[in-house]
Amino acid sequence: MEAAERYVRTWVASPRDKEIEDIVSGIADGELKLVHIVKALGEYLTSEEGDLRNKGVEFLALVVGKCPLEKFNLQSVKVLVAFFASKLEDTETIIPALKGMLALTPIPVLVPENVVDICEAVFTNVKMQALVQVQRHTVFSIFDSLVARHRDVLKSMGNHFLSGYIALADGEKDPRNLMIAFAIARVLAIEFDISTKFEELFNITFCYFPITFRPPPNDPYGVTAEDLKAALQSCLSASPLFGNLAIPLFLDKVNAGSPTTKRDTLQTLAICLPVYGSRVTSNSGRKLWSSLKLEIFQPTDPETQEEALEATQVVIKTIYADQNTDTEIDGLAKDICEECIQILKEPEKSQAKPAIKVLCAFMSTTPSVSRYTISHAIPHLIKLFVDPDELPNRGPVLSILSSLVAAARDSTVKADFKENIFLLPFKDEVLGAFVTGLKVQSSLRPAIEGLNGLVTTPDLLDDEEIGFVVQRVNEVISGKQEDFIGASDAAIDLLKTISIKTPSHIAQMTLPFLFSALPDQAPARDDAEGREKYRMGLSALSRLCTQPNLFETLVVRLSVRLSLLYAPAIVPEDPEPSAAYAHALQSTLAGVLARKVENGDVDVPKYVDRLVPRLFNITAYGVLATTWGAGLGVSDPRIIDVSARLVNLVTQSLSAQKQETFVNSLFAAYFKGDITPLAVGDLNLPTDAHFAPFDPAAPEGQANLIALFSAAVIALHPEVKIPVDDEGTLLVQLLNWSIRHAKTNVQRENAWHIAAAIVNKHVSSLNTFLNTTLSAFWDEEIAKSLDPDARRRAISAWAWVSRALLVRNYPQALQFVNRFFELFEDAEVSWDAARAIGQVGTVDNVLTKRNHVVIKILHAQKYASNMLPKIIEGTKDPTKKIRQTTHLVALAALIKAIPKAVYVHELPTLMPLLLRGLSLPDLTLRAGVIDTLLSAAQVDVDSGLKTDKEASVAAEHAVSLTSVMLQNSTVAEMPDVRVRVGALKYLAVLPKIVRYDVLHPQKATVLRGLAKALDDPKRAVRKEAVDARTTWFRYSG
Amino acid sequence: LQPKSDIIASARPTTRRRTAQARQSLWLLNDEDDDDSTTYHTDDDEPEPIDADEIFDLIRFISDPEHRSMTLEQLAVVSAPQVTVAPSHILVEFTPTVPHCGMSTLIGLSIRVRLLRALPTRFKVDIRVKPGSHQSEHAVNKQLNDKERVAAALENPALVDVLETCLENVGRRGL
Repeated sequence: MEAAERYVRTWVASPRDKEIEDIVSGIADGELKLVHIVKALGEYLTSEEGDLRNKGVEFLALVVGKCPLEKFNLQSVKVLVAFFASKLEDTETIIPALKGMLALTPIPVLVPENVVDICEAVFTNVKMQALVQVQRHTVFSIFDSLVARHRDVLKSMGNHFLSGYIALADGEKDPRNLMIAFAIARVLAIEFDISTKFEELFNITFCYFPITFRPPPNDPYGVTAEDLKAALQSCLSASPLFGNLAIPLFLDKVNAGSPTTKRDTLQTLAICLPVYGSRVTSNSGRKLWSSLKLEIFQPTDPETQEEALEATQVVIKTIYADQNTDTEIDGLAKDICEECIQILKEPEKSQAKPAIKVLCAFMSTTPSVSRYTISHAIPHLIKLFVDPDELPNRGPVLSILSSLVAAARDSTVKADFKENIFLLPFKDEVLGAFVTGLKVQSSLRPAIEGLNGLVTTPDLLDDEEIGFVVQRVNEVISGKQEDFIGASDAAIDLLKTISIKTPSHIAQMTLPFLFSALPDQAPARDDAEGREKYRMGLSALSRLCTQPNLFETLVVRLSVRLSLLYAPAIVPEDPEPSAAYAHALQSTLAGVLARKVENGDVDVPKYVDRLVPRLFNITAYGVLATTWGAGLGVSDPRIIDVSARLVNLVTQSLSAQKQETFVNSLFAAYFKGDITPLAVGDLNLPTDAHFAPFDPAAPEGQANLIALFSAAVIALHPEVKIPVDDEGTLLVQLLNWSIRHAKTNVQRENAWHIAAAIVNKHVSSLNTFLNTTLSAFWDEEIAKSLDPDARRRAISAWAWVSRALLVRNYPQALQFVNRFFELFEDAEVSWDAARAIGQVGTVDNVLTKRNHVVIKILHAQKYASNMLPKIIEGTKDPTKKIRQTTHLVALAALIKAIPKAVYVHELPTLMPLLLRGLSLPDLTLRAGVIDTLLSAAQVDVDSGLKTDKEASVAAEHAVSLTSVMLQNSTVAEMPDVRVRVGALKYLAVLPKIVRYDVLHPQKATVLRGLAKALDDPKRAVRKEAVDARTTWFRYSG
Repeated sequence: LQPKSDIIASARPTTRRRTAQARQSLWLLNDEDDDDSTTYHTDDDEPEPIDADEIFDLIRFISDPEHRSMTLEQLAVVSAPQVTVAPSHILVEFTPTVPHCGMSTLIGLSIRVRLLRALPTRFKVDIRVKPGSHQSEHAVNKQLNDKERVAAALENPALVDVLETCLENVGRRGL
């Protein structure tokens, strides 16, 4: 008791939460009773001074609010309710009393009569207009809480409660309060008997429609217009009783409002009408339609039209919801339908488009309406189509028809009335019209679209009819007319759609025709026409043949042509066209195969037996048997490259077991000369030929074939055993070969790819190699060797091995990379070593998941965060100029390779270094630095840093960046196209990330400098110069 | 100045450069495999002179002053064949949509400003309405090719604002 008094006194003197908490814990522990507090408060509660009374009640309200709910009993609740109710009468204490009331509402022992008391007290004493937002919020919260907990009591109060609440809620304006008010109103409308009060409820809710509220900037309460809209919508759609009152109001808003209001109203209509029900909707049906019609036929914007169409659908759905399919419809839907068909009598007019949109929208309403629409619109359109007077309008008619067919299909596909294909009775006429349309250029496109709609409608066309379509479409593709060229794309898409479901027609009719476009021998060099023809054929084939059966045919037919090219009856004088043709054939296969792999098709692995041997067969034949055109002919590296890609794609898809068999024959061929079992195909390899590509004395053509070997080996699963006695020996052999004997860069790269893949996948069995052999290799080939070119190759090889270890987070990987720093003062290879550091971090397309390489996540981040500080440190060492520059090279090489997130925070340190990097004589590095700066700038653009008070790093260096980029942007000073393009791109981005006042003095100089770049000899550079200059012209404060 | 109809708007004038190049080359290089770098990572230093297609590309996305959502290309006001390029002279012809179109000067001026900013100074640029396509053809032509009147027009801030909105999306490219 005394404690209570003490707390009360302290609190009244200086209100703090502590006293309240102490008292509440006292009550919770049973040391204090509520009655003690009331007693302690006595003098304050009855004080003459309004302020003291206020504090007294406030204190009690706070305590009640924090008190554990189970501490209240029937008696105390009754007393408290009566007490707070009496305090509501007192204007000084009304505010804390409301808080007290709110605190009482969640108490479990609150009995119905308490609830009624609370309501009565609030209704009698609270004048909402006199209260501020927070207090009104309390009032709404009281009712929200009561509605949630004591709904039945409130219901039993009947109209008395409704009138009381409605009077209170009337005129509320604050969005925060409205959110609660709408929620309460929804419950009232749904659960309470509002049959006599619905008008009043309507008045206090519909007056807010449409919501035009816009939250103030930096609104701390986070009530958005969307929240309010959604809350109000759920309120408006709560009771069917609102219907008759609401619809005229909505129509008013649709007719008169702004586009946003229109859209909002249309959306709300679509939500409300189903609730208001069929009778109300159909009573206002015509009025609704005449408003909606306006929005559809004379739309303010496409979105509003879309909403109006959806609202129309809802109107129709609501009206005809309970009709079954078989009864003939009449009334609104019929009238609208006729109205639209009337408009469609002139299909070329602009009104036809919205009319057909309405009919299409009808398709996904109810089955009966859908059926009615089809059975009236289609005969009408067919009649128009066959009418000789309407001949010029066939295009538009077909276009209308095709959208109708598409809409009908979509409704059957997604709707629940699947079994009813209303189009079925008309399919012959429709099909006939579309097929006829194919013959004339003006109606070709809509005809193709329409056919597409027909073939994609499930269960509509039978097999024979689809065959008929394919036949007709073939004629389109075979048409030579210029006009048809654009359309053949669409035609092929149609055939492709058909090929997915019924490939047989395509295989029988389309493919033979397309294959006939592929000659046995390449067209001569000056026969551009012939080349164009086979390219068109190939591009069509490549799009059509992903389906398994078709792909198989494609592989067979193209292989035959390849064989003919590799072993021609008459050796052509000019071998290059043949090579280019072979390249085109193989590229087509590679393109389709890559897509099949992407799709995860299961038929890819079987091509290890059907395609891969043939590839080895022809390529081996090319190098072993032919003597013609060794340099330009079919062993051209570009063709080998495509062949290798094919081998790689197929090998990737094989299981480990299959790979095992394949890799055995592969090694037998490449290391033992036993090529015949591997290269099975149409061509007979010469029996006396000696196949030994790794032999230092092998001709260059043979060594090129290592690309195929490499493509296969890099894709092996880690568990596949390499068929050699010791993998380490193989690796040494490969490295030596790559440094001493390989003749081209491609050959060397191939050897390194193999080495990297094997190191990555077989680390565990390579201990000796990694620990002993490699360091000997370093000493011999890199540290001590005298031939600088050989040293460079060795450095590249080292980088590949390091990367192979790095991607799997091999613990010693960084030790391998760190050895590069030993070379940083080397007179010959220091820059190569520095660039190699970047190379190790660069993502490549050999060490990938697809190739079953062991890759650990975040390896790149780990690498970058290890190397970056070391390199930055190195650039700062003032005693050794050479080392500084080498470190700069390493930085430039590395920064391009590593993820942006790793260096973004280092940018303030990095920026001066990168600026120095822009004067490096190595142009590739310069281009890399500019790319890095560009991607860093992109971060600033995305985050809108320009408006930020804190100047970005770029802004700090803006002036020097501008001038250095200008220097790099003109052809007179910068020979490299990539650098010029990069520099101009950067100049274009600067105005987006730097405030105008910083760069304002530069504007004239930049515009003048850019004018020079406008006259660049290269188109790509000019494009960037134009863009940059446009940005700078617009750059102002 | 009315958009003619949807059918015309969607008819794209083709630019001929790319197809011509493709036909000439013997080897088919796959677009899919090429990353950006190869487009200009050409070792040859062969100059690519400014041609009509390039100029057309600069002006095709200027928006119409009356129909902001439509471009001059979509309204068939400008097209590649209407651009003529000589070593130091460029002629751009444009077709107002109707002979009494009041916006012709503004359209011409927006083309003028765009080319002023995007072409090297060594070119003399002439901008004309297509002969016979406008009532006051002569007056419009004269206005557009009079240096001082163009300069005076560009002193008018309200006019410059309108021009800038027309040139807003001009950075899009079609080639």
